[in-house]
Amino acid sequence: MRITCPHCGARDAQEFTYLGAADPQRPDGMAATEAAMTEYVYLRDNPAGSHRELWYHGAGCHVWLVVTRDTHTHAIASVEAARARKAGAAA
Amino acid sequence: MAEIATSWRPRSAWAGIAQPGSFGAKGKTGVVATLLDGFGLATLIAEPGAATSLSRAVEGRLGIALPEMPRIVSGGAHDAIWAGPDQWLLRAALRDGFQPLLDELAAHAAVSDQSDARAAFRLQGPRTRDLLAKGVMLDLHPSAFGVGETAVTSVAYLGVQLWRLADGPDGPVFEIMVARSMAGSFWSWFTAAAAEFGCRVADQD
Ligand SMILES: [Zn+2]
Repeated sequence: MRITCPHCGARDAQEFTYLGAADPQRPDGMAATEAAMTEYVYLRDNPAGSHRELWYHGAGCHVWLVVTRDTHTHAIASVEAARARKAGAAA
Repeated sequence: MAEIATSWRPRSAWAGIAQPGSFGAKGKTGVVATLLDGFGLATLIAEPGAATSLSRAVEGRLGIALPEMPRIVSGGAHDAIWAGPDQWLLRAALRDGFQPLLDELAAHAAVSDQSDARAAFRLQGPRTRDLLAKGVMLDLHPSAFGVGETAVTSVAYLGVQLWRLADGPDGPVFEIMVARSMAGSFWSWFTAAAAEFGCRVADQD
């Protein structure tokens, strides 16, 4: 699998580290309920199909990326720098 | 009071690892590795939105603008090398005057002197691309990686940055830089990979 980094171009997947789903947002503040934290820490969708996920280009530009990948085919629909996302947006 | 003597001496990043000579296939010089030494090197990292003012400061001082794409831009005794978004390497051929330059640029970016932290060499010769193809996961064909392009990547699991300079009489010319602490491991890969082509190792002029 190759990921086309917006900064570095197409690179082998071994240059990247996978983190997980890109969209869960950490509940804000100490007032967050236990249920909300449990949801954030443990509960993930497991889609067969399009998945937005975080990858780190550790052997390249050292930038976090949001990769939209089809979990069936590994086809990658888009790659963008994570910092280009509006902070805190669920996108 | 007695003077305190010191036996500390500046030491090349290649000392004890690589030395001038030849190795590998007899009677052939497929690649020539020139060990680079004595250069000044610093990382420049601009805060979001501050890259333009940093680039202007570098241009005002050295006459070269910071490349926005993965490229190396050279002007006189200095090179500005893209190293990631809002990040560059600044290289000086010599260290004289390097620290005052870094002090000036520190007003515009996070500046860190890395002069003693990297080992670098220049690679040329007719088999240069064949050699690099054994370790670099990028397409370095001239149609895909032009003169002046740079890449941050890895070779044999070791982080490297490489760039392509103008072609020389024997074809392509690349320079490769690795963390100094990894120089021995990198050289181990390099000597194994280059042996079949025949390699001459030279000191810088
Ligand atoms: Zn990258």
